Amino acid sequence: MQKYSFFSLVKNALSNHENWDLAWKDPTPKKEYEVVIIGGGGHGLATAYYLAKEHNITNVAIIEKGWIGGGNVGRNTTIIRSNYMHDDNGLFSEFGMDLWRRMSQDLNYNVMFSPRGIINLAHSDAQMNTYARRGNSMRLNGIDAVLLNREEVKEIIPMADFSENVRFPIYGGLMQPSAGTARHDAVAWGYARQADDMGVDIIQNCEVIGFDVSAGKINGVRTSRGDIKAKKIGLCVAGSTNILAEKLNMTLPIETHLLQACVSEPVKPVLDKVVTFGAGHFYISQSDKGEMVMGGDLDGYNSYAQRGNLPTLQHVLTEGIAMMPFLSKLKMLRTWGGIMDMSMDGSPIIDKTHIEGLYLNCGWCYGGFKATPASGWTFAHTIAQDRVHELNSGYSLNRFNTGHLLDEKGLGTKTWIS
Amino acid sequence: MLYIKCPHCGMRSQNEFSYGGDATIKRPELGKEISDQDWDNFVYNRKSLRGKHWELWQHISGCRQWIKVERDTATHEIFKTLKANEEISL
Amino acid sequence: MTQSFRLESGGLINRDKKISFKFNGKNYFGYEGDTLASALIANGVHLIGRSFKYHRPRGFFGAGVDEPYAIVQLYRNGETEPNIKATEQELFEGLEAKSVNCWPSVNFDVGAINNFLKIFLPAGFYYKTFMWPKSFWYKIYEPFIRKAAGLGTASIKHDKERYEHKYEYCDLLITGSGPSGLASAYSAAKNGAKVILAEDKSRFGGTLLTSDVNIGNQSGKEWADSIVSELKEMSNVTVKNRSQVFGYYDHNMLVMSERISDHLPETKKYHPKQRLWYIRAKEVLISSGSIERPIVFGNNDTPGVMLSSAAKEYMKVYGVLVGKKPLVFTNNDSGYETAIEFKKNGVDPIILDTRKEPHSEIIEEAKNMNIDIKNSYVVVAAQGYKKVKSADIAKISDDKEELGSVENIKCDCICVSGFWTPTIHLASQSGNKTKFNEEIDAFVPGTSKQNEKTLGAANGIYTLEETLKDSFEKGNQLSKEITNIDNKVSFPNVVEKKSTVHDKFWCVPLPKGKNYKRFLDFQNDVAVSDIEIALKEGYRSIEHVKRYTTLGMATDQGKTSNLNGLQLVSKIENKVVPAVGHTTFRPPYSPVSIGAIVGREVGKHSKPTRKSPMHSWHEKNNAVFVDAGVWLRPRYYKRGDENLFEASKREAKNVRTNVGVCDVTTLGKIDIKGPDAAELLNRVYTNAWLKLPVGKARYGVMLREDGIVMDDGTTTRISEDHYHMTTTTAQAANVLSHLEYYLQLVWPDLNVNVVSTTEQWAGAAIAGPKSREVLKKLFPNSDVTNEGLPFMGYMEGDLFGVKAKIFRISFSGELAYEVNVESDYGYFMWEKIIEVGEEFGIQPYGTEALSTLRIEMGHVAGSELDGRTIPYDNSLEGLISKKKDFIGKRSLSRKAFAAEDRQKIVGVVPLDKKTSIPEGSHLVKDSNAPLPNPKLGYISASCWSVEHDNPFSLAILKDGKNMIGEKLFVMSPLKNKIIPVEIVSSHYVDPKGERVRS
Repeated sequence: MQKYSFFSLVKNALSNHENWDLAWKDPTPKKEYEVVIIGGGGHGLATAYYLAKEHNITNVAIIEKGWIGGGNVGRNTTIIRSNYMHDDNGLFSEFGMDLWRRMSQDLNYNVMFSPRGIINLAHSDAQMNTYARRGNSMRLNGIDAVLLNREEVKEIIPMADFSENVRFPIYGGLMQPSAGTARHDAVAWGYARQADDMGVDIIQNCEVIGFDVSAGKINGVRTSRGDIKAKKIGLCVAGSTNILAEKLNMTLPIETHLLQACVSEPVKPVLDKVVTFGAGHFYISQSDKGEMVMGGDLDGYNSYAQRGNLPTLQHVLTEGIAMMPFLSKLKMLRTWGGIMDMSMDGSPIIDKTHIEGLYLNCGWCYGGFKATPASGWTFAHTIAQDRVHELNSGYSLNRFNTGHLLDEKGLGTKTWIS
Repeated sequence: MLYIKCPHCGMRSQNEFSYGGDATIKRPELGKEISDQDWDNFVYNRKSLRGKHWELWQHISGCRQWIKVERDTATHEIFKTLKANEEISL
Repeated sequence: MTQSFRLESGGLINRDKKISFKFNGKNYFGYEGDTLASALIANGVHLIGRSFKYHRPRGFFGAGVDEPYAIVQLYRNGETEPNIKATEQELFEGLEAKSVNCWPSVNFDVGAINNFLKIFLPAGFYYKTFMWPKSFWYKIYEPFIRKAAGLGTASIKHDKERYEHKYEYCDLLITGSGPSGLASAYSAAKNGAKVILAEDKSRFGGTLLTSDVNIGNQSGKEWADSIVSELKEMSNVTVKNRSQVFGYYDHNMLVMSERISDHLPETKKYHPKQRLWYIRAKEVLISSGSIERPIVFGNNDTPGVMLSSAAKEYMKVYGVLVGKKPLVFTNNDSGYETAIEFKKNGVDPIILDTRKEPHSEIIEEAKNMNIDIKNSYVVVAAQGYKKVKSADIAKISDDKEELGSVENIKCDCICVSGFWTPTIHLASQSGNKTKFNEEIDAFVPGTSKQNEKTLGAANGIYTLEETLKDSFEKGNQLSKEITNIDNKVSFPNVVEKKSTVHDKFWCVPLPKGKNYKRFLDFQNDVAVSDIEIALKEGYRSIEHVKRYTTLGMATDQGKTSNLNGLQLVSKIENKVVPAVGHTTFRPPYSPVSIGAIVGREVGKHSKPTRKSPMHSWHEKNNAVFVDAGVWLRPRYYKRGDENLFEASKREAKNVRTNVGVCDVTTLGKIDIKGPDAAELLNRVYTNAWLKLPVGKARYGVMLREDGIVMDDGTTTRISEDHYHMTTTTAQAANVLSHLEYYLQLVWPDLNVNVVSTTEQWAGAAIAGPKSREVLKKLFPNSDVTNEGLPFMGYMEGDLFGVKAKIFRISFSGELAYEVNVESDYGYFMWEKIIEVGEEFGIQPYGTEALSTLRIEMGHVAGSELDGRTIPYDNSLEGLISKKKDFIGKRSLSRKAFAAEDRQKIVGVVPLDKKTSIPEGSHLVKDSNAPLPNPKLGYISASCWSVEHDNPFSLAILKDGKNMIGEKLFVMSPLKNKIIPVEIVSSHYVDPKGERVRS
């Protein structure tokens, strides 16, 4: 494979950029694979990459209904963090942070991982205590966390509202300095390019119509481009999980919801941290292009429409101005909607299923993007070894039955309350 | 913003309502033995399909009645609304 | 400065009113009615900014919302706004603007070095490099890239402008006041329909302002003026200029932003800067017209290259010449109209027409005016760096593949017309699946999805007569169905010049040996070669192309670039355009102020503030408040220079020794009435409720169906069928909805009514060993002795003439009462309590002391009931009835919930009895264990025990039941603290609960 570097860029420039290789090919599906991954999003592509790289399984197909990277990996707010309270979430995400830190080099694709730090603002002593509980848990798990007081927050983000005319004054915040952002599309493309190079077939415009299951075992998948046999199939289709589950006669602890995000027009650098509001649900960061990238609450009803309504954004941006009043004079340039797998405790599922050879990766709620490498890595392990790894042992499907829940927010099953 | 016909009050904007999820889930009878699976199906498991979806809304800033709404989860089109005591015909 | 490019006469500007303004520090003049763009062009200024990536010089490309280039930093009334389109900004006295994305100046921009490096910076170059050494990305490369990008500068000052919202309903919303908008609005208005007509620009009329047509023996503009003035007189019509409908949302909800003050030097007092309209329309007529699209050729981003329709608009509307030696490059008849306009104003244009032998009325007219027309000619490249100086032109073969010999002709502007792209954004946002119209080589709306119809040019109809006919008819027909009135408007006589078909040509091939950049997206510097690279590398989906190259992602959102991008992809991929498909159109149509979206809910008003009726008393008595949800509650009452710790300790101590009073108005209160009220409570709470006597209260815990504690509180039986429930402050609304859910949907057979009475009652908790003495003074006529009003008893009393409810309940663990009166008497009650309590040493206490009191008693609150704990965890398992079923009971038998070593609440005391334990710390066995150090539990609440005079905390601890007496460590790495502690019972004070019964 052509290696990307400054020198390759110069070399290709001198040949008028006519000799660049395909980043990935466009193969016709074979009749059978060792493993089929359904879903060409970040998690599916990462899974295929780690199957090949860590487990030497390269006879793999990724089948994607539309174009790769078109799901939530292409429509998120690019935040990467491991600031979780529960051990299962924290240790899993921190494992992922390590993968993020070396991703550009591992993939030979600049995913622009930018560990600029995230600050969760607190607006009361009670909230400071809640954050302390989380931050201490992180520290005891070996994850970096700092509790900032009001003055310290002011020094770092003076544009937040420290005025008298504020409804919820800032008391302080919990910061994870190593958290950050990355260029979301690049993550999908980088994984795709390497997976393709190791022999994985990336098959786009290929929709799953049904499954071939007999005697409790999976045998293959029926697609719009023909039947494909495989003894192992991994489902990686956050946003469409319920649809595929129905084809498998499964009902899952997941609801499908709509989440909007928006960006402002690009402006010169003004904010170099990811910041979240504590008296509501709003988060913001500034992209390398200069756009303020903002998000918040779900639209609040089951939806598969990648289109939301303005009152939700109004609500989100109201909290934005409450946190950083200067946003008022910026203009909202672009909005979009993504479809979330909202699990019933807010944490994901990476597990085997009652069908032999069928593996499940879903329920990522708002947090799928940051989990891309760790999810791919553990899912690949689960598929290759036919057993869950310690890192994803907390993400079992039957935790809802046993009560070993991972509810970071304590909101329970009403996923639409965010 | 959705425009929902409250069977008691008429057409009202969505911001008067709060959402209540799948309307076809039936709470098991009190005091009745029930399997783990059935209980999980009630508490956690949801079909949440693309297309027509019967769901609950409460007219929280209006008559405070819970209502049943048939809505398309792909287009958001609303087909029908029912009072709490009216049965859904699937 | 003289306005050397201003025509002697003509245009719609007010030449009697001169307006002075500043651009890049230099003073200029324009006229009232100018935009910043027209005024700058009039003054001969063509260099406005620099492009995003290569920092190439940028001028003007359009005359309105589609402008990709002329982005400025605006200064108005002491404030500054980034990224203002000069073509949209109306001129006002004292306006100041500056170029963006250039340093040190627009004329000499260091960033322009990128222009020379451009061969090394193709699409996606940043994905392929900046990876070594590893740490350099974040420390060096990224800051550099971030600084280079970003257009204007955001001020971090708070916005002092005001924005408003308006909600409106109408029969017909019409978006755009061109011919189709006016005709449809007029016929609908005549039928009595409630019509809103929205025009984005300051002037009504759309293309009628610039086209040479005649309607009903008037010029297009006269006709538009007369229709608009008639509409304005009609009470059923709202006509709005400077109002852009930018989003089409679900169920025919559209949102419009009205720019009320942006064209003024400052916002008038009591006026908003902008107003956002949420409009629910029965029918929507989309009359948003079309945008001319460019033809792509070499260096087509040079200042002076602009849309031919814009050149015409600058002449006809603003009386401004965009150049004195114009070249018109066209593939259709529109370019001729611009050329004719130049000629009429005494300027000789040259037309290059890609077509071989076109014939039409318009072309004839141009010929008759002796305009120089070159057929089968194209512009190969513009020459000149900061302004067009000349053009390389060539003949092109019939198959449009071969160029003839290149010649250079002098010109100072190149007006391009590549035909028209319907503005289908709103239709597409409504969910309408667009279709490709081969004839016009562009997408038009397909079948209506919501109640939207698209008219005129937005629907690909480019003749005036057809447009008017269709629009009059649609307006009449749709309104008739709503109003049942049919006042047909007679169709006016229309005179327009006929045009002929356009040439489906959009990109000029490169001449041999030349490597000109041919731009598609002008702001983001996306050229033909970038798309070629993307496709070569396998980024083949149109979404991949867009994301890899950033085509159409600039602030103009690709209004002039997207279709040409599609043409290019379809050509290279050998697909038809509709098979390539376009990316999704999403709101907003053009960028909208975040301030306008948010409206008035800013600053203190970003969320409502709820205050108890006694709030002003608290204020007068030095209360320091704390937010409890949206409520404000006194946290402590400051005496002298006490701090929080000292004050709360004093207040708590006074409750333990004398008596205190606390405002508990914020607690949720629900009135429950009906013969089945007890049965409802019995199903909702975990404990038994059927036998609660009248006049008695009981503490209850309710669960969610998943077994997690939802809320706790006391409920009192007021009379046979009447109960008064209290909830926590935080859960009040949720509990009411919860009860309504079960009553209306699950158990409709229960005959019970519930209603919130939180606002109806003001509440005061009177607590402490002397509280009974206070009660006696407050209610001299009631028997409040231990026998007359025992623990958990209830009675009504007369508080100096005010009816009061008296509950003997306690959160503090002391002998205590809660008194409720109707809210209006709350202040009176409070004053009386303080007055009669004085002799017993009464002091008000805030939430902090309240917290201390409950913690040392081991009473749970929000920090334990955090949505993750079950009754057992809170030592509330005694309240779980074994005999009956209740909401959530089935979940409690789950494995993790029933585990032997399940977490449980305990007390924690530091071994040294001195060191305070920070809340949010964790309990570990070994403070030196390697990370991750297993956590056994966490500190949920801490206080200074006033009873024992040492720190005390509550913790939720794994296997808490068997941990009493154990020594563990509290760790707070955040605060760098390791504290050896002993685990004790959570009931640190009065474990037998004798005081409350005393």
